[in-house]
Amino acid sequence: MPTKLNRDVYVVGVGMHRFNNETLDPGVMADVAGMAALADAGIDFTDVGALYNGYLGGGMASGVRFAKEFGLTGIPVTHVENASATGSCAFGEAVHAVAGGRVESAMALGFDDMNQLGGIGRSRSKGMGAEDVMLPAAFFAMWATRRMHDAGTTMETFAKIAAKNWNHARTNPFAQRRADHEVTPDEILAATMISYPHTSMMACASGGGASAAIVATKEVAERIGGGRPMIRVSASQQRSETYTDGHVFLGAVIGPAQMTRDTAADAYEQAGLGPADVDLVQVHDAFPVEELVYYELLGICGEGEGDGLVADGETTIGGRIPFSTDGGLTARGHPGGPTGLAQIHETTMQLRHEAGDRQVEGAQTGLCHMAGAGSVCVVHILQRS
Amino acid sequence: MTMLPTDPRLFRLPEGDEARPHLLGSYAPESELYFWPRRQRCPVTRTAVEDVDLASEGVLYAWTFLHVPRMGKISYGDAGGYGVGQIDLAEGVRIQAPLLGTTDDWQIGSKMGLTTFPVGEDDDGNEMVTFRFEAIS
Repeated sequence: MPTKLNRDVYVVGVGMHRFNNETLDPGVMADVAGMAALADAGIDFTDVGALYNGYLGGGMASGVRFAKEFGLTGIPVTHVENASATGSCAFGEAVHAVAGGRVESAMALGFDDMNQLGGIGRSRSKGMGAEDVMLPAAFFAMWATRRMHDAGTTMETFAKIAAKNWNHARTNPFAQRRADHEVTPDEILAATMISYPHTSMMACASGGGASAAIVATKEVAERIGGGRPMIRVSASQQRSETYTDGHVFLGAVIGPAQMTRDTAADAYEQAGLGPADVDLVQVHDAFPVEELVYYELLGICGEGEGDGLVADGETTIGGRIPFSTDGGLTARGHPGGPTGLAQIHETTMQLRHEAGDRQVEGAQTGLCHMAGAGSVCVVHILQRS
Repeated sequence: MTMLPTDPRLFRLPEGDEARPHLLGSYAPESELYFWPRRQRCPVTRTAVEDVDLASEGVLYAWTFLHVPRMGKISYGDAGGYGVGQIDLAEGVRIQAPLLGTTDDWQIGSKMGLTTFPVGEDDDGNEMVTFRFEAIS
């Protein structure tokens, strides 16, 4: 059963600090993104009723410390952490805080620098358990080899997905990877092999960055909107895993496929629409096998039909249902905390028809999907109204 | 030198005439499901579970070969990387673990066996071992 929003919630402001691999100060990046979102909304921090900070690293209570730069207004400030889905969960908390009547407006702010995040994959104890020597790349690669075995998917298909996302990012000023030329599948395949069948150009760009989004009630959105298109949050759903055959308890990074199916079904039901009504999608595409499988799990196509979508270019901007329009985790980047909020930023810009050279023509409805730690799945649906 | 498991919560060494180590799992009589690692209760029925040793052999469900440096204490040496697999045990449990061997040894559907793998000595001079799966005939 989907959770409900007791009153309408709108995205009234979005902001970002460019994703990068330059080891910048997360506090500065958070400030840039937050102030950009406030400017976009045309409001001051005194108008924000609650702040949800999403970050993986940065030390205890970094969010509380960084919030002081926006002003000591006394509002509740809360740290949210859910692995890759951190930013999406921070956004969800902000949405539900407004929908539930706690506040009239709320900000979700994600920031991180994965280069400064210690402990990933390192031996954490004297006992060197299974999780200590298996990196996330391995889990996604095993998903890919099994997909190749079951569905006949080829490395060329994975390369086409990655090349598409690299090329989508070319016109995104906030992307970490901005190629100066049209990236080809051959170039993707020729890159360094990191974990068969994935090359380095198929792997997500992991660095730093910050993103923010402000949500508010309809009354607030209409008052500050200035006549520009209103972007409504028509679904906000989050689930954890349920037991399925072949369930992995230790070291799960991906999570059961059913979790995404269930979360998407909840979101479609809440929004009162179906996959055919969606104009663009952002997903957790840490590696291209993910995007490929999510075509199917989100109901965009039937089981085993994802490869055909790629072959026909249907998920490219200009195609039937563009995915990862800002470059996705592959090229826009995946700093951790801000990633899910970057999806909200991109989708909001697309639905306002302000996405410039990568605008999806006539976009009315956008879906954002994120997964984390093998047991978190978040789906938001935004609609232009 | 005494051999010790790096994490005795996850597996135990061969005993008596056993040829292979065993992963330590749980069995839930009500749901008839097995789990690894051990659980406090069945996650499906929330009923009691029993401690069991899981089978030491299984079938390879998926695998990859990692070329990126391992970030733990274990070097992958001259092999240029290391294998990782998902192995389905007869009890219906799927295990994720590093593999011994080379890419020529692994095919989806291959029969795999659990084995030990040395990772160093502790402060008392005991040999610490973790576990791996290897292809078996």
